[in-house]
Amino acid sequence: MEDALQLLSKYGDDAKVMAGGQSLIPLLKLRIASFPYVVNISGLKGLNQIVEKGDYLEIGSLTTISELEENDLVKEKYQALHEAAGLIADPLVRNMGTIGGNVSHGDPSNDIPAVIIALKAKLELAGLRGNRNVDADSFVTDSFTTVLEKGEILKRILIPIPGTNSGGCYIKHKKSAGDFSVAAVAVHLRLEDDERVKSAGIGLTSVAPKPLRAVRGESYLEGKKLTDSTVREAAKIVVSESNPSTDFYGSLEFKKKVLGRITEEAIHLSFERAMVR
Amino acid sequence: MSSVRWEDMDTAYDATSLVRGKGHFVDDIRLSNMLHMSVMRSPYARGRILGLKGGMSSADFKGKLASVGEGASPSSALSIEPVFATGFVNYVGQPVAAVFADDRYRSTDLLDSIEVDYEPLKPVVTIDDALNSGPIHSGMNSNVLVEATQGKDFPDPNTPIVLEDILENDRVSTNPIEPRGIVTDYHNGVLNVWISTQSVNSIKTGLVESLGMNPDDVRVMQTDTGGAFGSKGGLYPEYVIAAYASMKYGKPVKWIESRREHLASTNPGRGVRGRVKIFAALNGKIAGMKGEVLVDAGAYGTGSGGFSAQYIGFMMTGPYSIENAFVTGRALLTNKVPQGPYRGAGRPEASYFIERMLDLLADELKMDPADVRLLNMSDKPFESPLGMRIDAARPFFETAVNELEYRREAKLTKGVGLSFFVLVPALYTGESARIIVKGGRVSVWLGGNSHGQGHEVFVKKLVNEELGVPEDIVTLYRGDTKMTMVGEGSWGSRSAMVGGAAVVAACRKLKGDVLREFGNYTADNLLSGSYDEFVNDETRRSINSFGANLATVEIGKMGNVKVKKCIAYYDVGRALNRDMVIGQIQGGMAQGIGQTLHEVLSYNEDGQLITSSISDAGVPLAEDLPNFGVKIAENRSILPHGAKGVGESPTIGVPTALIRAIEKARGKRLRKTPVMPEDLME
Repeated sequence: MEDALQLLSKYGDDAKVMAGGQSLIPLLKLRIASFPYVVNISGLKGLNQIVEKGDYLEIGSLTTISELEENDLVKEKYQALHEAAGLIADPLVRNMGTIGGNVSHGDPSNDIPAVIIALKAKLELAGLRGNRNVDADSFVTDSFTTVLEKGEILKRILIPIPGTNSGGCYIKHKKSAGDFSVAAVAVHLRLEDDERVKSAGIGLTSVAPKPLRAVRGESYLEGKKLTDSTVREAAKIVVSESNPSTDFYGSLEFKKKVLGRITEEAIHLSFERAMVR
Repeated sequence: MSSVRWEDMDTAYDATSLVRGKGHFVDDIRLSNMLHMSVMRSPYARGRILGLKGGMSSADFKGKLASVGEGASPSSALSIEPVFATGFVNYVGQPVAAVFADDRYRSTDLLDSIEVDYEPLKPVVTIDDALNSGPIHSGMNSNVLVEATQGKDFPDPNTPIVLEDILENDRVSTNPIEPRGIVTDYHNGVLNVWISTQSVNSIKTGLVESLGMNPDDVRVMQTDTGGAFGSKGGLYPEYVIAAYASMKYGKPVKWIESRREHLASTNPGRGVRGRVKIFAALNGKIAGMKGEVLVDAGAYGTGSGGFSAQYIGFMMTGPYSIENAFVTGRALLTNKVPQGPYRGAGRPEASYFIERMLDLLADELKMDPADVRLLNMSDKPFESPLGMRIDAARPFFETAVNELEYRREAKLTKGVGLSFFVLVPALYTGESARIIVKGGRVSVWLGGNSHGQGHEVFVKKLVNEELGVPEDIVTLYRGDTKMTMVGEGSWGSRSAMVGGAAVVAACRKLKGDVLREFGNYTADNLLSGSYDEFVNDETRRSINSFGANLATVEIGKMGNVKVKKCIAYYDVGRALNRDMVIGQIQGGMAQGIGQTLHEVLSYNEDGQLITSSISDAGVPLAEDLPNFGVKIAENRSILPHGAKGVGESPTIGVPTALIRAIEKARGKRLRKTPVMPEDLME
């Protein structure tokens, strides 16, 4: 890690970090981007662990999407993450692609950022001057732009261990198998004993220039009992927070419609899951 | 990838080699000192070239593209595409310059060394732009490339029902798995060309014309060809540039198209709009049809836009006995890559226009769509006012309704669609075949070249039937202009028909040779000698066939269409090999589903291509496909071996049945392919 950080500091903007290469290599192949130096960190040891430690689930940034998808702990307690992992591209990409790469690339269509936003995760960034933590919802600042500074690498993702009465999901609507989404939503709910929402987390994919936290949607839900009409209203608020653009995946209006439907569905499903626990 | 020398290649078609990974594709060819070519393409839909430095360009070679292959039609000299853009660029992806290096990475890097100054001009992007803007080529009066009428105009019949609608098929990339590619080697005064193609003879004719060469000095050989669907029958600028460069540098030159180049620069199909008006009695009988067909021909007349404008109109009465019909067709120039043939090449468009109107008529009269269709058919052969001759349609389609179990399906399912069509195969000028018997083996070459359909299967069977020799001593070799001096190509549902007829004719000539020599014909007599026969068999009669499709769908809550059933009932004549026929139909049905649900080349208002990958282009995936049902009727044709056409039937019949099924499921009139989820979401 020390060597990688040294190289990155030395070459600055001339260098790009590569982990699984599933986003970077296509960019290089299509000559959309080119870098004099590629720092391949895929061989770094100890960065592919998924463990609960203290109050957090710690996920090393080199954990592959397949490892995430197949991990029993994730499957059991972090359903949104498990579901998102299984919906990324295809098995070939998932075998190579890493959670750190998925997040660090800053692509508003990548799925993991919305999930860790909903789960209120923190990101541990390693640098020569030491590590620092940032909140998941402030990590990506714009399309393909993150808070990572020169000479920094995303090291670990720290997800608060969900309390009792909590549940979540990730719903992704895509045109065809293996594709990016038209829109996707991650929801995580924690309920009070009387079934009112204690806390809500909502993260959105593909509906803004960056992965989005639906703050107003979250606070609308908090303290409420979920009925069909509150869920519908919450989805409406979430849609009003989104900012999709018309493109190849559909018109702005279509994406908002899709987002509204999957958000309603995701809140209902998360509630059901939280009730079962 | 291993290094393959051409001399070591087995040039026999052998489908089993493809599934074993032993195919010989054009990119497998490695010749010593071979240069790789990369092409600098226009980033603008329309612009003036103010300055150009570096690379090979129109300053080095001023040739123009010859129009050859399927749908090639002469057009105004002002609209012929130059090999290198000259003075102006007229579509995104148009070749402007080329660079060469000893490997592909280096030639791609070299593109950065070319400097081009453009003055962007306002492009003509859509059919409406073309109608409303000045001509894209100076010297022309308008953007109308070709205007043609079919039939005779007639006064509007005085019928109670008059329906008019505007219908559209958006552009579709052909997207064979193997993109285009060529290797050229000018050596001892002969230009040797290896190419992924549907027709070595078209490519030769085109190169000879564009380069001003002597035909004897050009030899074109086909490599294994990984799909084509119409896009590999004609000439393209890159082929001429690669040939010219080999002559200039005295070295072999290879060019292999990337997928992005394919999407931008290979002639796509469809891209048509029709305004259709039908006049009908209250009982559903159609008294007349008037149509106006507009084809988005792209930037030059070297594609098949001009041909499409006439050909679509010709077929627009479908299998129906409509006594009055008149169609005006116009091909319009736009600042987009020239339009070309795509599996069906005008046939699916014509069928789409008339079938959409039959469904509209059924809805207007609250009749069953099958009944309206059958009512408008004859029990006798019919020659349409547009000149298309068909057999008695009603008996076939009454059977089709039963075979497809349409009436049962219509009771059970809301989203059901039915389509009827006529397949008009491209028989004109026939096809050539050469058969050499030597050393106890039979070697065959065809003028039209298999691009994955498996021509070797029917060739072996026909030779076996005609000459009584076992199939395993018969070999069909890949196309080679040295072996067939003339020939047409493999397209337009023609190969088993005219290619097969040519094989039969050549076999009969061989039989005559043996008979003259031995006094009687036996296979042993034939195989004991050496014979070489060539025929160029012309089939002048039209041999059309009928087909019908049924589709059922369900629509998901996000407007996503799930195809539940997709069934074909086609008259294929005598099926020379049942499995091959079924395979052809299933593959074509997948493409029909693709065109209807997803496939489109999207351009923005600046004429920039937005579709940037094969995934974006919407080729159908396994998840889109239902279990296909294929039923075939075998009514022999008048050809000696009884074949009829099949290749294009599914891309004609599926889109029309499927869009109807979606329309019924959604309860909303649909006019355009592809049908987007957002048009269907409630």
